[in-house]
Amino acid sequence: MSTLTRRHLVGSIALLAVVSALAACGNNGAGTADGKVTLTFWSHTHPPMVELNKKLVAEYEKQHTNVKVQYETIPNDQFGTKMLTSLSNGSGPDIINMDDSALRGEYLPKKLLAPIDPEGFGAKSVDEIRAKYNEGTLDGASADGQLYGVPSEFNATAFVINTKHFKDAGLDPAKPPATWDDVTTYGKKLVAAGHEQAFSFNYLHSGWYTQQLQTLLNQTGGEIADPKTLKEAVTSPEAVKALQIWAKLATGPDKVHDPNASSRDATSPFSDLATGRQSMAVVYPWSMEQIRQSNPDTYKELQVVPLPQVDPAKPVNRWYAYYWAVNVASKQQPEAWKFISFMADNHERWIADVDFIQPVKGWETSAAAKELPALDVWAGAYANGAFDTVVPHYAEIQDAVTEMVNDAVFNGVAPEEAAKKAADQIQRSLDS
Amino acid sequence: MAILSNRTSERSAEVDPADPGRRGRRRRRGIGLSRDVIGALLAVPAVVLFAAFAVYPMLRVFYLSVFDYNLTSDPEFVGLANFAFLATDSRFHEALGQTGFYVLGTYGPALILALVLAQALHTKTRGMGLVRLLYFVPVAMSWVAVSVIWRVVLHPDGLLNQALSIDVNWLTSSSTARWGLVIMSVWKEMGFFLILFLAGLQAISPDLHEAASLDGAGSFRRFWHLTLPLLRPVTAVCAVMAVIRGFQAFSPQVVLTGGSFETEVINLFVYKTAFENARMGRASAVAVLMFGALLLLTLIQLRAFRRRDR
Repeated sequence: MSTLTRRHLVGSIALLAVVSALAACGNNGAGTADGKVTLTFWSHTHPPMVELNKKLVAEYEKQHTNVKVQYETIPNDQFGTKMLTSLSNGSGPDIINMDDSALRGEYLPKKLLAPIDPEGFGAKSVDEIRAKYNEGTLDGASADGQLYGVPSEFNATAFVINTKHFKDAGLDPAKPPATWDDVTTYGKKLVAAGHEQAFSFNYLHSGWYTQQLQTLLNQTGGEIADPKTLKEAVTSPEAVKALQIWAKLATGPDKVHDPNASSRDATSPFSDLATGRQSMAVVYPWSMEQIRQSNPDTYKELQVVPLPQVDPAKPVNRWYAYYWAVNVASKQQPEAWKFISFMADNHERWIADVDFIQPVKGWETSAAAKELPALDVWAGAYANGAFDTVVPHYAEIQDAVTEMVNDAVFNGVAPEEAAKKAADQIQRSLDS
Repeated sequence: MAILSNRTSERSAEVDPADPGRRGRRRRRGIGLSRDVIGALLAVPAVVLFAAFAVYPMLRVFYLSVFDYNLTSDPEFVGLANFAFLATDSRFHEALGQTGFYVLGTYGPALILALVLAQALHTKTRGMGLVRLLYFVPVAMSWVAVSVIWRVVLHPDGLLNQALSIDVNWLTSSSTARWGLVIMSVWKEMGFFLILFLAGLQAISPDLHEAASLDGAGSFRRFWHLTLPLLRPVTAVCAVMAVIRGFQAFSPQVVLTGGSFETEVINLFVYKTAFENARMGRASAVAVLMFGALLLLTLIQLRAFRRRDR
């Protein structure tokens, strides 16, 4: 072999390695010449949802033999970061399943998602798709008049009480707390009866902290920041009032739980309630099904009731939703929308198997919905809800909100002072 | 071997017939040169990978530190604005302070304890190998595994509170969370330095101690005037590694507190700024500052120890 030939050999091997690596990086699940299509689909981890996703993926692949769906789950505490980072550098999945705050706060402003393709849904126009859903419920995936996804789950908030604990404390489960003051009153009786974690918010990660504070803010009329002026609003009297409600339940003479003893495991958000340690909680439709599957004995003792209010005469709820959407960098958007259409068409199974409510018109009259425990409570919760207010740099602002709540709940800082400290950080985020 | 024989045969034509030894020297030089070329060629893939995955990203961080870049739109040149922002950012300052606290709080005690324990374990007693191994076990475990274990230990109803009969919320209070992390990290890291100090002690000749004893030096004087000075090179390595390891802290803070309760160290701040908040330019500016700070600290440490050596 001549020198030239050896040089060629070394060069060829190096070139082959580089080309192979580039080919692997750039694959992104593209279709092939023989018509085979591989779609990638990422979701967070909620066991009942994951199970149904897998079943539906298998059914779809059976019906569409040219399509292979690679379904991946990502741990909840890494979900937002991994999804956003991968979509930002063009390597994300074809299909994403993401919550409305992230969509409106990050994905839509950064133009990471493809507008909905009505053809994939067998519709003539986007308006035809919109017409299938209850008014306002698609706002979580809308921007500039365009629609970017359809809901996989649409949540309103309700409350749950452990009827056994109530009876232990001499309380009547038929008369659940109507206000947050009632929660304190009832909670003290429950604590006296030995149920020391009478009511607790979930202290998991910044997303949870913020959504729970938003639930209270909706009722007090407060906001974290004004989306029009981009000014912080956590120091407003309404916002401080929301923080005071939270802090009062966790600190001082009226505390009804020890926040230090609350579970902080984000992979099992309602474990204290599910294991019978906690007597009352703010819940969503999906959480009840999760408890039913993981702790059926406790589930039998739980009763879903309307969310306590600041002003019961003017009940306000909180909406949040997850949407199926398509990566704008996907090379097979038509196939991706067809798959999403299939997933969305199974809305009765989503109710029956996972307690995921998809807000199609008349969902509450479906056979599956009629089997849903506390249907009247959930239907009522959906009637007076609102999405969270989302502002730019929302992830950073959620960190400041978390510190604010921690200061007020765990560090003994007065809510007004905790809000002032957070306000500086929030305003810096909004200004930069 | 074709390449070698070809080159050798080419060179043989140039050999001076008056000096046959020169021919052999030339042949050896020729073979050496060819081996160098082949060696260099074989190293090319590794160098390319190193350049692509270590050098380029590092240079890119320097480059991005003067840009505003949110991953999705083109980077926009902002000069030193990222550095100016950090100069007045209370969250960054807090992260710097927490990093300093963590480095000093963890590695100061860890080094001292390791040195003391190394003295105690530097014997040839039966079973001492097993004892040393036990101290090294936490070092071999991953930070995540250790953190998960210590989340249980530091729980309000956990082992530490029960053992000490105290009621401390280790991980849910800004006044104690940093101490919880420090306690865990001392436990985890001490064994690493213990092994280094043990190796250093074993390199010191027993004759020196024997001579000092004969001269009437007690155990403390021997430790202070003999052992410590002779351990200076090992101590220098330990000190440099302690600072570097301390500044690299990330996993325990993520697992135990998520950076809440005033435990957000600089690496976690960089991670959140870059990947959760998509402010790559600002995160790069922090990385550049930390690179400079670590380089400076390391040089100061090495210089300090070198000066003492003289």
